[in-house]
Amino acid sequence: MRKKIALPVVAALVAALAGCGHSEGGSTAGPPASGLPSSDQIAAVPMGPLAGAADRTALAQSIRNPYAGNAQAVAAGSRLYIRLNCAGCHAYTGKGNMGPNLTDTYWSYGGLPVDVYKSIADGRAQGMPAWGAALPPQDIWKLVAYIQSLGGMYATDLTPRNPQEKERIAPELRGTPQGAPVAADSPAAGSSSP
Amino acid sequence: MSRARTNRRGVVEHQKPPRRAVTRLPAGKRRWTLIAIVWLLPFAAAAWRLQAAPAAAAEPTTPTTNLSGATFNFAPNDPAGEWHSQARDYANTRYSPLHQIDTENVGKLRLAWTFSDGTLHGHEAAPLVVGSTMYLVTPFPDILYALDLTKPGPYIKWSFKPNPSPQAKGKACCDVVNRGMVYANGKIIYNLLDDHTVAVDATTGKQVWRTWMDNLENGATMTMAPFVVGNKVFVGNSGGELGVRGWLAALDVDTGKELWRAYSTGSDKDVLIGADFKPFYSWMKGKDLGIHTWPAGMWKHGGGSSWAWVSYDPDTNLIYYGTSNPSPRVPAQRPGYNLWASTIFARDADTGMARWAYQPTPHDQWDYDAVNENILMDLPINGRKRKVLVHFDRNSYAYTIDRTTGEVLVVAPFADQNWSTGIDMKTGQPIVNKDKEPKPGIKLDHICPTDLGGKDWEPGAASPRTGLVYAGILNICMDLTDHLQGYIPGTPYDGMEMTRHPASGDNLGEFMAWNPATGKKVWAVKEKFMTMSGALATAGDVVFYGTADGWFRAVDARTGKVLWSQKLSSGVIGQPMSYLGPDGRQYVAIYSGIGGAATVRADTTVKGFPAGGGTLYVFSIDGDSIGTVAGMPNNGDGATTPVNRAPGRQ
Amino acid sequence: MSDRCQRVLVVAGLLIAQSGTAQAGPMSYLRTYGPAGNPVTTLGWGLGIISISVCVIIALLLLGAVFRKHKEITGNAEDHLVVHKDGGGMSWIYIGVGISSVVLIGSMIWTLVVTAVVATPATPAALTVQVRASQWWWDLRYDTKTSSRTFTTANEIHIPTGQPVQFVLTSTDVIHSFWVPKLGGKKDIIPGQANVTWLQADVPGIYRGQCAVFCGAEHARMNLLVIAQAPRDFRAWQEAQMEETPAPRSPVAYRGQQVFLAHCAACHTVRGSDAGGLVGPDLTHLMSRRTLAAGVLTNTPGNLAGWIVHPQSIKPDSRMPDQTLSGPQLHAVVTYLETLQ
Repeated sequence: MRKKIALPVVAALVAALAGCGHSEGGSTAGPPASGLPSSDQIAAVPMGPLAGAADRTALAQSIRNPYAGNAQAVAAGSRLYIRLNCAGCHAYTGKGNMGPNLTDTYWSYGGLPVDVYKSIADGRAQGMPAWGAALPPQDIWKLVAYIQSLGGMYATDLTPRNPQEKERIAPELRGTPQGAPVAADSPAAGSSSP
Repeated sequence: MSRARTNRRGVVEHQKPPRRAVTRLPAGKRRWTLIAIVWLLPFAAAAWRLQAAPAAAAEPTTPTTNLSGATFNFAPNDPAGEWHSQARDYANTRYSPLHQIDTENVGKLRLAWTFSDGTLHGHEAAPLVVGSTMYLVTPFPDILYALDLTKPGPYIKWSFKPNPSPQAKGKACCDVVNRGMVYANGKIIYNLLDDHTVAVDATTGKQVWRTWMDNLENGATMTMAPFVVGNKVFVGNSGGELGVRGWLAALDVDTGKELWRAYSTGSDKDVLIGADFKPFYSWMKGKDLGIHTWPAGMWKHGGGSSWAWVSYDPDTNLIYYGTSNPSPRVPAQRPGYNLWASTIFARDADTGMARWAYQPTPHDQWDYDAVNENILMDLPINGRKRKVLVHFDRNSYAYTIDRTTGEVLVVAPFADQNWSTGIDMKTGQPIVNKDKEPKPGIKLDHICPTDLGGKDWEPGAASPRTGLVYAGILNICMDLTDHLQGYIPGTPYDGMEMTRHPASGDNLGEFMAWNPATGKKVWAVKEKFMTMSGALATAGDVVFYGTADGWFRAVDARTGKVLWSQKLSSGVIGQPMSYLGPDGRQYVAIYSGIGGAATVRADTTVKGFPAGGGTLYVFSIDGDSIGTVAGMPNNGDGATTPVNRAPGRQ
Repeated sequence: MSDRCQRVLVVAGLLIAQSGTAQAGPMSYLRTYGPAGNPVTTLGWGLGIISISVCVIIALLLLGAVFRKHKEITGNAEDHLVVHKDGGGMSWIYIGVGISSVVLIGSMIWTLVVTAVVATPATPAALTVQVRASQWWWDLRYDTKTSSRTFTTANEIHIPTGQPVQFVLTSTDVIHSFWVPKLGGKKDIIPGQANVTWLQADVPGIYRGQCAVFCGAEHARMNLLVIAQAPRDFRAWQEAQMEETPAPRSPVAYRGQQVFLAHCAACHTVRGSDAGGLVGPDLTHLMSRRTLAAGVLTNTPGNLAGWIVHPQSIKPDSRMPDQTLSGPQLHAVVTYLETLQ
């Protein structure tokens, strides 16, 4: 008798605790170091299709946001978006006002995750402040995850013009290849959508 | 078939009919001559009238009733056909004494010429006309153009490119606009978005001086139109949404040297409050209220920028202007009255010392700036002639205030509002509706008006012939959620999340005539979008304004009947003005180029919102102007006289 | 039955035995120090004593019944189970029910009276503190009629002794609960509404508080200090808090301020400077506080430096990220923070 009651009670408790865990939104706790793209990788991506940067697209596409689609990270990104005044310029809907629209597919400085990461971290010339000093990479990637959730960013899985292009990227700069199995302990593992 | 031409001295010469017509006529020259003379008579009469009218510049003889009994001082009494400052006169009437265009013939207004300035964004300025030169200022990058009006199809005499910092584009809250320039002592003076005031030689287009006024990195920009009295030019900053500290400063017209600067927050010393300061209501009396009506230290980023209009009364030597919302826009973070944000100031024009102040919305909770224009007039109230200023506040109340003391004489709402239940005439304070007070994180439905107010910066006009004030107003409400907002220099210090919708009906705007003596609306024209263009009243009893969907309209000043409408390429948020060309014709000019705050409804389901633009449109009766010919115009290089079409041709 | 009663007695005994030491514990609610808590504590003790007395009396009666000398049952056994009209023990039931009713109704009235008494202070509160709870710290704003005397601090509430202080409780994220056991009861903090409570300390001292509703990973480290001071000391503290911090004087402190503005100002406020963030606690007078990280660390320069670079080791999941600062940068920023007296 006792056991019969105890089981659902324990189950409910576990569920409640799990629920609490989710509702508290994201945290600034970082993912394992292997989950984050390295700063060298990010630095190697040029801002636009510059002369001599033929590998840009493949390189930029190879750098994935470790938090993409992670519901908890998206929620944390959304909180940061409001608390750090992003909404003041880009609007609470993300549709832009003082600053550009983040929900459409028009990107002044590139719309791949690493491009948006760099725009946030380095700032841009027409009023976008640089957040690289104030925010750790995890938080910037969470902001990128939130912006990705708005639907306007470029897809990272476009078929490259030349499939060999990816192979030409120096191995140390190559990010997680698309479709490769994600390590179980990386934040993307908890993603609710691919 | 017959043409008349006007020479430089204004004498109309009639040309012979073209030869082709003569050859086709039957014989009998006498009869032809007679017919020709009879046929030409009305043209000659019209041409004569055209010449005579501007010379006389007297009031037209059409009778009108002055409904409010208002009288005006039109100092500095610039030449009737010219336009030297954005409001044309110190009293901010935006009234043109020209009356060639009147209620009878306004229907014949046609396009005379256009000018594209090569920029997009919101075009909020009125052109100036000094002598035979027209001056235009564009939104960012704030290019100044001088057009030669004596030439057919006026072309660019010179242009001045100040090259303001592109960083400024990301700091301006509500589009990268410029509200215009002013002419004084042979200079055109205006503000650059990157916090510089610049004076340009009106003849040569060379920079005379440029003064750095504020810090761009802290979010300050400059968009307001400078205002000149004597040898002083008054300028103020923008950035109430970015937590700047607002100010109004006086610069020397000739050197650009700063003479005084009055902050909108801080100690009495900073605000230029001294022994002469006598506000009418006691709650604005006390020491250092610019500090003590804020939580500790918050006045430093307290807003109160002065981003719109200044007016001046030569009799009392006082200037009048308003300050913007307190920062942050979230009221929960700043308990207190938040003086001197959202305040109307009267200051001594020479010293800058405040004479009185009045805060229409104490502890402003909905972004109701008090920056809107103050139109000065003398008005009989309760049988006494009072020196008043008329102010349509963003809080949807129209105030008629004694401009010598700051006492509110008449106050009434001119647009839908539900944030208050009235104004206590004893204290001058509104009775705030507790249900509409925002609290962080809690969504409030249907607050009227929105953060843009019942009327935004778009200036109204007044006519001494009807005694009425005309203005474009907004018919919108908002659902509002406040969010606590940290101060990060150079980013919005804002926190208002909102959606806007029509207050009543499905129109978002209106153009209205207001009786400032009774506080009653006389007539109104409903408009589909927010009416955010300035107004122009003329002695021809025609009032001009534009709409956000690009219609430029002329209405009867007495009845509000729309007499003429013309669709322009983009929306109108500029200010119409009227001038007399070197050819003696009256022209009406308006910028078309949507932008600014008018775009906040652009992404909604309401159809018909225009795309951007940047074109000046100039209208005249029948579209006649220098150089309007059937064939190739002579560019008037001196060899031949420009050819005109006869005025009054059908 | 007697078994359960015995257990209750054992627990009560233990409680009484422990109360001496428990009162000394920072979170003990068995002794309170102000009128917001005292009536409840008295009530608690009173009801406890009544309950224990009832248990004891019943236990004694039961014992008496068990060990009483039994009459021989003669004749029809069923006759003994019939209560006769002539009394036969019925009066004892009337007496029992009567006493119980009086005690129960009395306890209920007492409870209601106490609830009413502690709901509002006897005299209106002179001081209002806006408490904004966030994961996992407390933002405190002292509101006064003169706006310019309104200031913000964090995690350490100072109150004057002998005066009721009102607390307006709001949350920026999840449900929290405001609890200072030695001064009064819990009050839940619900997002989207402002709950009001009050406290009063009659004895100067440091009283510990704690978020009392599970609010996420670091719930256990969401502490609070209430420092009750004699009114004069409180006023001195208040005046000091209203002061703005002066601009840094030494070159190192100046460099530290620059580091602070670049790395910390988006989240933290230092009044009088351009740092105005609201994500983390107001640091204007950081050095006047006893603890760091909502009562987790003692406020010493070493702890401060450790907290700046490794908050995630000290309070994992806290909103404060680990900072990548060079040695000189860390030294400079700690030097600067030490000027925030």
